[in-house]
Amino acid sequence: MKQKTLEYLEAHKSETPSRWREEAEWRRANASWLRHSQMIAVKVLLRMKQEHMTQKTLAERMNCTQQYVSKILKGNENMSLDTLTKLEDALNISLILPEEKMAYSDAALEEVFA
Amino acid sequence: MKFDKILENNTLWAIRGDNADDNVLQLLFQHWSDPEWLIDFFMDNMSDLESYFMITDINQAIYDTIEDSERIQCLILDISPDADLDKLFRPLNNSRTSEMLLGKEKARIKERPNHASWLRLYAIKLEPGCYIITGGAIKLTRTMQEREHTLRELNKMESVRNFLINEGAIDADGLMDYLTEIQ
Repeated sequence: MKQKTLEYLEAHKSETPSRWREEAEWRRANASWLRHSQMIAVKVLLRMKQEHMTQKTLAERMNCTQQYVSKILKGNENMSLDTLTKLEDALNISLILPEEKMAYSDAALEEVFA
Repeated sequence: MKFDKILENNTLWAIRGDNADDNVLQLLFQHWSDPEWLIDFFMDNMSDLESYFMITDINQAIYDTIEDSERIQCLILDISPDADLDKLFRPLNNSRTSEMLLGKEKARIKERPNHASWLRLYAIKLEPGCYIITGGAIKLTRTMQEREHTLRELNKMESVRNFLINEGAIDADGLMDYLTEIQ
């Protein structure tokens, strides 16, 4: 690179360091569970839109804070099975098992208890 | 406007807008991995997704975006100091065959299953092998002029280009050297 250009860019560098590399490295290191968290957030958000449900209502139904719901919806939360189940109950959707498996389970249960 | 060094060997930079917390690259990766942002984007652009890519499932569109975004991230994280960035960036205009001063360039993932990648990084070429990222977009239409969000990126490239010229980032000697080098 030309010295003059480099000097210009160096002289106009941001005063605070960028977080991009740190965040990108973190996303890469946690990619496997992050993808699940992001896609669960998508499902939850779409359901909330469908039901016109606010974050506040969802937090109340899950008995947690709105801040925690906000974190879940950002797709950055490594959720426990307990949290996932609370989400499922609050929204009446299936997040852990595919819908057809749930349907099968219900049918199977009905048969057992018939 | 300020500049953030993306690669330690000074070949890749990114702009940071006035009063912005971070540079455009960080903001792009943040958007492209944010479920809420992606849902809003694809809901607003569903008709383009359907007509240009024949995709009707928003879940699929978001999944593919996140996947491609991760690939671009890894690509940049793993660029070796002696890598040739001219192989990553291409002229913005597909029909442009010659170099132009502070050319507008784009980078994209070339091979992905099922459909072409719609993610783009946009940059200004400072010198051969040396770029400033000005932004990026989810490009679903054939041309950038067709949609507001891509047109904005086009205008941003032009402003950064003018800014660099007006600010004297490249002086007369630099311009001459540059023009000689690319001949």
